[in-house]
Amino acid sequence: METTSKAFSKEILNIENIELVCDEICHKLRGNIKNQLRRRGAVVGISGGIDSSVVLALACRALGQENVIGILMPERDSSPESLTLAQALANKFGVRTVVENITATLEGFGCYKRRDEAIARVFPEFNPLTDKAKIEIKQNIGQNLPSLFSLTIITSAGEILSKLLPVNEYLQIVAATNFKQRSRMAMLYYHAESLHYAVVGTPNKHEVEQGFFVKFGDGGADLMPIGHLYKTQVYQLAEYLGIPQEIIDRTPTTDTYSAEQTQEEFFYQMPFKEMDLIWYAWENQYREEEIAKVLQKSVDEIHNIFKNFERKQHTTSYLRAAPIF
Amino acid sequence: MTKDRRIHEKLLKYIIEVTFLDKDVIKDDTLLFEEGIFDSMGLLFLIDFIRDTFHIDTKDNELLVENFASVNSIAAFISKRIGFEESKKLVISDK
Repeated sequence: METTSKAFSKEILNIENIELVCDEICHKLRGNIKNQLRRRGAVVGISGGIDSSVVLALACRALGQENVIGILMPERDSSPESLTLAQALANKFGVRTVVENITATLEGFGCYKRRDEAIARVFPEFNPLTDKAKIEIKQNIGQNLPSLFSLTIITSAGEILSKLLPVNEYLQIVAATNFKQRSRMAMLYYHAESLHYAVVGTPNKHEVEQGFFVKFGDGGADLMPIGHLYKTQVYQLAEYLGIPQEIIDRTPTTDTYSAEQTQEEFFYQMPFKEMDLIWYAWENQYREEEIAKVLQKSVDEIHNIFKNFERKQHTTSYLRAAPIF
Repeated sequence: MTKDRRIHEKLLKYIIEVTFLDKDVIKDDTLLFEEGIFDSMGLLFLIDFIRDTFHIDTKDNELLVENFASVNSIAAFISKRIGFEESKKLVISDK
């Protein structure tokens, strides 16, 4: 591996001129919407999370708040906090909002029923009315083997049970749950088309490149203005743009399963600060020894994390691929 | 054919079937994950195959590279588990 010229450090991803970065993103966003997509404004799905909040703020800055609309799409399993925070964000930026509860849509698709059937095949005692469930990765990212998902249920009595998910149940749970993101995408396009607006997507760099999105779900958008930013950089923009502190302080969750679940336990397996730095190092071909020294980890661990990134990017390339013809 | 060799053969046949690779490409010591022959879904389907074929449920703490790196290591893992299950049966039948 070749070494890049800039020495690796924990500060390497700090944005020096945030105002300039925001201006560049907004200039591009405005140009893309007006000239390339030829739309009048932007629709943003807001969840009370950091990424969608930053995108909404950027869209307001680029197009003016009167040309932006925030769509809130809670469903049965959403945390009530998501709705409250998303509404507080919209109020702060003076953006119109529409609340679309998608629970009935998801019931129509059989989303909950199909998911709960698969859960009950793993845990026959599971009661969807009283128990909560989530899927999570339990293996260490430093282990040189692909990670698999376990199903965890939390019974009404507070008992926590966990099992490695068999392949058929894993696939059914994921496929059923993906109705959530795909229903939201359909709803965003309804509002976008009815207003002649563009759908502005909210994935950050990790979500795009590690494949932490649903194809034709949250991956379905006309443009993704923060798709090139690391998560820690999204936080830097959030501070600069004046995103409400409760949103900045909130632990990133998937807000998809009935049991509470952080993005770290669901997918990333390491804290964002560390992941950003190691991903940057991997992408820019820094030497494993240099990273290990700065982050006080073993060279073997860094090597295995690099392998894990490589595997995730390779395995999820299908999600980023355009239709083949 | 020995019991261990039969495990090897069943694994090789399965891997060739699901990967569409030429049988000469997969050797007993080919590093299945390191060389990109299997990814996470490949591992998940492999665990299913092990359960259906050898009646072994893989546990979270057994998902280690030393148990799944190659046909050799998977076969060793299966042999060890079969030996353990058989010894459990012996203990039960001795009672």
